[in-house]
Amino acid sequence: MSQRLGFDRVTKVFEGSGNDADFVAFDDITLEAAPSEFLAVVGPSGCGKSTLLRMAAGLTDPTRGKVVLDGKPVREPPPGVIYLFQQYAKSLFAWRTVIDNVMFPVEGAPRARRGELRAQCRDYLRQVGLDGFEDKYPWQLSGGMQQRVAIARALAADPQVLLLDEPFSAVDALTRMELQTLMLQLWERRKFTAILVTHDVEEAIFLADRVAVLGARPTSLKEVIDVGLPRPRDQLTTREDPRFLKLRHHITASLLARNDGHVASA
Amino acid sequence: MSRRRERLGLGLLGLVSPVLVLCIWEFASRLGWTNPVLLPSPSQITAALFALMTSGAIAGPLAHTAGLFVAGYVLAVLIGVGIGIAMATSETLYGLLEPLVEIVRPIPKPALVPVLFLFLGIGKATMLTLVVLAAVFPVLISTFQGVRGLDPVLLETARTFQVSRARTIVSIILPASLPMILAGMRVSLGLALVIVILAEMLAGEDGIGFRILDLERSFQVRDMFAWIVVLVAMGGALTKLFDIAERGLVPWRGRS
Repeated sequence: MSQRLGFDRVTKVFEGSGNDADFVAFDDITLEAAPSEFLAVVGPSGCGKSTLLRMAAGLTDPTRGKVVLDGKPVREPPPGVIYLFQQYAKSLFAWRTVIDNVMFPVEGAPRARRGELRAQCRDYLRQVGLDGFEDKYPWQLSGGMQQRVAIARALAADPQVLLLDEPFSAVDALTRMELQTLMLQLWERRKFTAILVTHDVEEAIFLADRVAVLGARPTSLKEVIDVGLPRPRDQLTTREDPRFLKLRHHITASLLARNDGHVASA
Repeated sequence: MSRRRERLGLGLLGLVSPVLVLCIWEFASRLGWTNPVLLPSPSQITAALFALMTSGAIAGPLAHTAGLFVAGYVLAVLIGVGIGIAMATSETLYGLLEPLVEIVRPIPKPALVPVLFLFLGIGKATMLTLVVLAAVFPVLISTFQGVRGLDPVLLETARTFQVSRARTIVSIILPASLPMILAGMRVSLGLALVIVILAEMLAGEDGIGFRILDLERSFQVRDMFAWIVVLVAMGGALTKLFDIAERGLVPWRGRS
């Protein structure tokens, strides 16, 4: 079962060192992803979007407020909440083959189940389109393929909540579209809760059910927008949908801190 | 193909200077410019080396030296990696051990020989301790720096997968810092060999270091030089072995 993950009046303050003033990264953010929802969070670069996800993953604590997973506050990384890093190359284990990378989350399982789990992991690799690359090493693969390995490894961990930290921003445009489509297929199949942070407005609209827009520093929640575009989504038709264009316009304007009318009349 | 030829060419080029030195040495010796009692010619040394190998007399001292080297080096690597990881992953252990490490590390290890003689006697225990003391620090320091320098993303990946501390150390921290550990081990390799020979000269009853000094004292200079050649070959072989092992262990080095 997928889970509900929410931020309850979360504030994050980074203590300044020496004479530096404290830095308020987030101020009083309340936001919740429903079970099996695909929630996107967009904000300008450097607004601390990653910090939001890191708090959701239990990697860092909020200064005030709490992160809540199915009613329980998150302090340590909870099981089933998996983080997909932007820096896939650093997140993969260079000394392990592709299949052994994917096997990593299930290695604690009893020996008797090893064969079955291995077959399962091979299937995950097939699902992300890496059939036949089991015995290669990550550094022998292209960037897009490396992120596919990371995605397969996330699947092996049986994610209830998948946290996506700009996972497609370091690959070329075409590969990015392929990975977005792949992610949607996997999400529709597995029905995990997904929270994506990105600075790419189109990516957020294309993937998500709702898009939360963050404002400038200290970062606060500006608005949450229902995407309402039909699924399954398609890289061509969805992106040409008038509603898609309207949302893109609205969110981009909001991020640029102008108002809609002003941009329209310009 | 042409790359290979290029490398072969460079290899041959590298032979020029040693061959030239040997030729000059040989001629100087044959023309009587040098004292043959103190400095035998390369051909005389080669003959002595050949005799050493064919008679089988090489085996005993070589095994003795290799034994001390392997024991000391392996112990130093185990201790260095162990303490290095412990200090890098636990603030308590870091606070506890860092001052001690920083006091002992800069001491030129041969200076400890008299102290070790007093406490451990003149023999194996002193020799082994000396080798370990000399070889442990490069491994320890580079392991520590390797672990501390690991990308946080790697460790956070482990945390989100609910991996225990012990398993994180064994299956992530250790392999991820292996390139740095090996860099320290390479420095220690040379140091260990130097100290093995020194220890044998000072406290040994056998071994190449002991032999070299013993032959010098009994004016068997040709044999003495033959053993020095054995030592050069041993050092070269160890470095080569290390290169091969390193390439096998960290094929991803510089590529990820």
